[in-house]
This record gives sequence, structure tokens and C-alpha cells, in this order.
Amino acid sequence: MSSLFFCKSVKRALSLTAVAMSLGLLTSTTVIAAPSAANLAMIAEPQTLDPMGTTADLVATIMQHVYEPLYTYDARWNVAPMLADGLPRVSDNGLTHTITLRQGVKFHNGREMNADDVVASLRRWTEVSPRGKAVGKEIASIEAKGPYTVELKLKTLYAPLLSQLALPTSMAAILAKETIATQIKDFIGTGPYRFKERRPDQYTLLTRFDAYSARKEAASGYAGKREALIEELRFVPVPSASTRVEGSLSGQFDFADLLPVESIARLERAGASVVPIMTESFGFPYLVFNTTEGVLASQAMRLSVQTAFGEGEMMAAAFGDTRFFTVEPNHFPKGTPFFSTAGADKYNQRDATAAKEIAAKAGYNGQPVRIMASRQYEFHYNMALVMAEQLKRAGIKSELQIVDWATLVQRRNDPKLWDIYVTHSPVFPEPMLSPPQLNEGAPGWWSSPAKQSTLSAFNQEMDPARRGALWGKVQQVIYDEAPYINVGKFNSLSARSQRLQGYLPSAWPFFWNTSVTGK
Amino acid sequence: MFRFIMARLGGTVAVLILVAVMVFALTRLASGDPIAVLLGDQASAEDIAQVRVQYGLDKPLLTQFGYWVKEVLQGNLGQSIFLQRPVTQALAERTEPTFFLALFAVTIAALIGIPCGLIAAVWRGRFVDQVFSAVAMLGASIPSFWMGLILIQVFAVGLGWFPASGYGNPGVSLAERLHHLVLPATVLGVLNSALIIRFTRASVLDILNEDYVRTARSKGLSERVVILKHVLKNALVPIVTVVGLTLALMIGGAVVTETVFNLPGVGNLVVRAVLRRDYPVIQGALLVIAGIYVLINLVIDLIYMLVDPRIRV
Repeated sequence: MSSLFFCKSVKRALSLTAVAMSLGLLTSTTVIAAPSAANLAMIAEPQTLDPMGTTADLVATIMQHVYEPLYTYDARWNVAPMLADGLPRVSDNGLTHTITLRQGVKFHNGREMNADDVVASLRRWTEVSPRGKAVGKEIASIEAKGPYTVELKLKTLYAPLLSQLALPTSMAAILAKETIATQIKDFIGTGPYRFKERRPDQYTLLTRFDAYSARKEAASGYAGKREALIEELRFVPVPSASTRVEGSLSGQFDFADLLPVESIARLERAGASVVPIMTESFGFPYLVFNTTEGVLASQAMRLSVQTAFGEGEMMAAAFGDTRFFTVEPNHFPKGTPFFSTAGADKYNQRDATAAKEIAAKAGYNGQPVRIMASRQYEFHYNMALVMAEQLKRAGIKSELQIVDWATLVQRRNDPKLWDIYVTHSPVFPEPMLSPPQLNEGAPGWWSSPAKQSTLSAFNQEMDPARRGALWGKVQQVIYDEAPYINVGKFNSLSARSQRLQGYLPSAWPFFWNTSVTGK
Repeated sequence: MFRFIMARLGGTVAVLILVAVMVFALTRLASGDPIAVLLGDQASAEDIAQVRVQYGLDKPLLTQFGYWVKEVLQGNLGQSIFLQRPVTQALAERTEPTFFLALFAVTIAALIGIPCGLIAAVWRGRFVDQVFSAVAMLGASIPSFWMGLILIQVFAVGLGWFPASGYGNPGVSLAERLHHLVLPATVLGVLNSALIIRFTRASVLDILNEDYVRTARSKGLSERVVILKHVLKNALVPIVTVVGLTLALMIGGAVVTETVFNLPGVGNLVVRAVLRRDYPVIQGALLVIAGIYVLINLVIDLIYMLVDPRIRV
């Protein structure tokens, strides 16, 4: 009896000690609170951290937290000021843009941003950035006209200028002048987060910039007030899509980007801990035709192929679930300024008989159409398979060249090697931002008098309302000459944990103005 | 012994030279362009050509090879095109997860494989032998990605005992990092134990028929002493070889498992480098992996000498 009592007392004493220790531990954890952090699963390791160095979306997604441009987009895809104080003052002839900068904006090294930083950054952008170089051809000069004033002079009227300056990919980022080099080593920007560390294939770590100079306007899309509510952002590269899905379901990731459409059912079944996010009209697949060499150099043959193609079938094979794609001829979504149905009769025809007739008239002699696609994006491959079948129905031979992505982006620069290649792009708010075939010299090498006249009218029109109508004319020429086919629009699937609050679905996911709650 | 080691070291150098030539030739013969990947989908051919010059990729292949060899002889494996760091640093960062994963997995494989193989051999033809042989066959046939996904679903998503992927958040302790290795090491350990079971079983069966085993039994030694002291010890040579080669294979990178579990190991580094054609990383990593292979083979030979006195003669 006494030994039993002794045991009980010891047990009670031990329990009390355990409770006391736990309380002590709890107290100590509340005193030394760990920084709030979010684990964000990205589709790959960023190609570079230079915000200007690549057109890759992933680099933009990460580095837009560190660097800011002069302008950005609001929730309705209008250009809005970011580091600029307001929209530029444009001279009567439309060639001189005077940009006034915000004052008191601090770089991550504590120095205030001024016009010299902006001039040096924009000049670098026109020299090294794939997008900036193209815009640079339109620019006559970029000069500082005071500590907070920059003057940008154009050679000719160029309406897409502000859209180009606002884009996060291949960004016209404003860098601290002293960090500018061919290879940037210190990533010093003005963004709400500062770069801390990169461990390839593990994480890119950003921490809150406490001296961030936020705008005063309410947040809207990428524009307005940005606030770093989470102390640490960890961008974790997770190239395997199924690993991103499992990581979301197990609660390891607060956000997982671009998940396979098939995983929607599992995400929906997972209950309250995971929230699936659909970003509508996220991107468009497009098929580029080789207009200079090979069987499709003939416009009639391109039109024959366009007639044979059924874009609806391709989108269904590519994305499966009808919630995730739209089959429509308009290159821009309904409700946007560039919505147009011009050329709609030439879209999704899937008419083998008519295609055969056009090919026969064009003197088609059985030469195979070489379709180049990569399995890096499974939907590219699925669409290529459907294309081959549709061509077969129309009596046109095809040859599938399935290569890896690094090979595709190399081979497409040689006109001797391919006739069609498959790729995709985000839907941008301005037509001139994508696809690159709208400019001269991009693979496919489309060049024609109709292209030049309609695009030159479009690019020189500064009135947004009239530009909308002029885009319809460009779209008509694209359907008439078939340099590429815009296959349709797809929605993307991502997921966030319940604890990540305030996230807005966006083309380049951003995490300022988001917060994490609980553990 | 000294002459033996020197001869093997000479062979090692020859192998490494051959590997250097082969790796360089193969990476450059394969189509694909790292700069086109680096600059992104919207970059023009003109942009790509300009940046190729910056990285010296416009030079003739022989010049590039000569430059690389010169650098390697100075102990410099080059600079990664994508990772913004030297290849040696990129490799060094991958050593820890790969090393612990390999060690963890080989330990699991040996702990399962050697006892099971031994039991299967001792009770040859009995039910337990058939069960272990069937398990070994199954283990050799299951794809590692499938087993990985099943373990993730059960132990990470379902029970929440282990993390689903990765190697821990920034600044976590070694214990936490090793916690991330439990599931991948189990996958690799279980799958690789199959080979060890089969080798141990075959090797022990050979020894069981030897005269000295019969002698040991006839002089009245207990079965336990016969098996553990006379049979297992003599059967160890091929088992050590298999365990060593398994270790070497894993240090070279357990590519599929590392991909499923998103581990920043050497295998992952090489595969991702191949996909984006990061030439310096592919060349440097393969050269180092080949070096480690050759070294492990050398160590296995030395262990042979310790285990089997006949080789020393």
C-alpha cells in the first residue's frame, strides 16, 4: 500500500515537473518568437536572380519582391505608377516622356533612390534585357533632368512603352547604381523584401525590408500600397508537380504554384487545410509556323494546316477538365480593351476536306510537316499528338520531333530544322508583349507588308480606345496569313494553405500584403 | 601492398582522363543551348548569340576543352552558368544530403539484407526462404518513385510523421535535416536490400557446402558458431562488394528518389544541370563522381585484403 502511494506521489511530482517545464518552454518560445515565414513551392530553380536577365516568369515572380519598376499594373491591368510619382508627362508630339520620381524611397543599402539610379538602370535594361533591347531600338535618349526627374525621348511614337516598363518579366527594374555590373552580385533594390540567401535547389530566401517606402494609395493588383506582413519568404524549387501536390496536402507548403489540373479533385477533398486557386485566362498555347523555309513557307499551305486544325480538340487533349480551358478565337479575353472576334471564321475549323483542297491547289507534294514539341510541358506534347492526327485526316503528312526544352529553344532558331513548334505564354495586358512573333526576327520569321502596316498603325496610336479597334485589324492579318496559331486560353491551378491569408490570384504570384496565421 | 596501391592509383588517373574527354565530348555533342534556356522563351536569337560570347561558348570546342582542362588541373571546376557560384561550391553544398542519405540507406539495406539473406540460405527451400526470396524479387521490381509516393501519402500526408519533401527550412538543426531523410532513405534502403539479400544468400550457400564447414560441425561446434564465425565471415567478400557498390551508386546520386523527395543532392544537381545544359556543372560533377567511384573501388579492394588473407599474397 505504502509503495503504491509512493509510486503515485512520484508520478504526480513528475507530472507537475513536466507541466512546469512545458510552461517554461512555452514561456521561452513566446519570448523568443520565431520569425513568421512562408514556404512557397515554385516550379523550378530560378535561371538567374538578375531581374533583367531573362524573360522567365519564375525569376519575375521571385525578384519582383526585391526590385520595383517605375510603373506596374493595377487589378484591371491599367498601368499605374510604382517608383514614379505619377504617370509621365508626355510632350505634344508624343516623343518626350518626363518621369517624376517619388522622393524618400530607400534602397536596401539605406541610400535614397535618385534619377541617376533610374537612368543607369534603364540604360542597362536596354543593353542586357531581352525585352529592353527591343524597346531600346525605339528610344533616342534617357537623361536625368534633376535629382528626381528623368526624361525619356523616343525616336518614333511607341504606344507600348509604359506597358513594357511595367512588366515584371525581363523587368525594367530600378537597381542601386553602385551594384550595376554585367553579372549582378549584390541584389539591392527598393522592394518590400530584401535578398538574403540562395541555396540552389533548396531555397531563395527573402526577408522583410523594414525601411520600405510604401505608396499611399490602396493596394490594387500589383499597384498601390505594398506591405511585407510575413517576415521571411522562402521560394522553394520543387520541379516535380506531384511533389508540389503532396507538399501542399501535407501542410509543408503555404503556396504551391502551377499544379497539374488532375490534382484538383484531391485538393478539393483535402478539406479546410488546403485551398485550391484557379487563375483565369492565365496563358495561351501557340503554334509557331516557319514562314521562311520548308513546307509551310507557302502561305496557302499554312492556311491549309490552319483549316485542318481543331483547336477545341487540342485544348481538350491538353487540359482535360473543361473548367481549365476556353476555346475562343479572340486573342484577348472578353472585357479587356483588346477583345476582338476578327478572323473568328478561321478558328477551330477542323475541316479536313477544305484543308485537302487548299493543299492540293497549293501543289502539296507529300512533304511531311515537322512538328517540334517538348515533354517538359506535357500539354505541348498532347497537343502535338492531336495535331499529327488532324493533319493525317486532311492527307497532310507529319513528323513529330519530340525533344527536351533546351534542345527546342536552340533548334527553333534554325529555319532548316522545323515547320511548327509548340510553346505557350502568359496572357499579357498588352499585345506587343507576347508572342515575340509580332516583332521582327523571332523564330518563324514572319514578315509581310500587311503585318508591318497594321502593327505600325497599332504601335503609333496613343489613344487606348482606338488601339483596341486597331488590334482587331492585326488579329485579322494573323488569321489571314497564319504565322502562328493562338490555340485558346487556359487557367492555372495553384494551392495555398489555410494559414496564408490575403493572397490574390495573379500571373506572377506575389506575397506582399499576405500574412500567415497560427503555426 | 604499396606497389598494388600505386598501380591502382595509376589506373585511377587514366580512368579520370578518359572520363574528362568523354564527358566533355558528350555534353557538347548533345543538342540544346544553356543560353537559350537562361534567357527565357521570349529572347531573340541575336540576344542568345551575344550572351554566348560572354560565356565563351562561341569559341571552337577544342579551345573550350583546353581551357577547361587547364582550369581543372588548377583545382577549379569552373563557374555554373545558372547557379551564380563555382561548381566546387555547388557540389560541396550537395555533399551533406547525399552523404547522409547514402549512409542511412545503405545501413538500412545492410540491416535488412544480410540477416534475411543469411536466414534464407540457412533454411534453404523452406517457407522462410521462399518468403524472403519473394520479398527480394518484389523489392527489386518496385519502382522507387512509386514507393516514394506511397510513403509520402501514408507517412507525410496521412500520418504527418515526416515531411513530404526537401531538406529542411533555412537554419534548421542537423537532427531536423536528418528527419527529412527518413522516408527517402527507407525507399532506397528497402529497394537496395533486395540485391543484398540475394547476394548474401548465394554467397552463404556456397560456403555452407565447403569442407571446413562440415569439419566445424563434426567437431561439435554449435550451429550458431558455425554460421556466424565460419560461414558468414567467409561469405563476406562478395557482400562487402555489393554494399560498397550500392554506396557508390548512391553517392553518384539516387536521381529518382532525390527528385520525388526534392532533395538537394548530387543526383538532383546533375539531372537539373543536364536539363538546362549547365556544361560546367555536368562536367565537374561527373568528373568528381567518377573519381569517387574509382576511389570506392580502391577501398573495396583494400577491404578484400583485410577480409581475405589470400588476396594479400
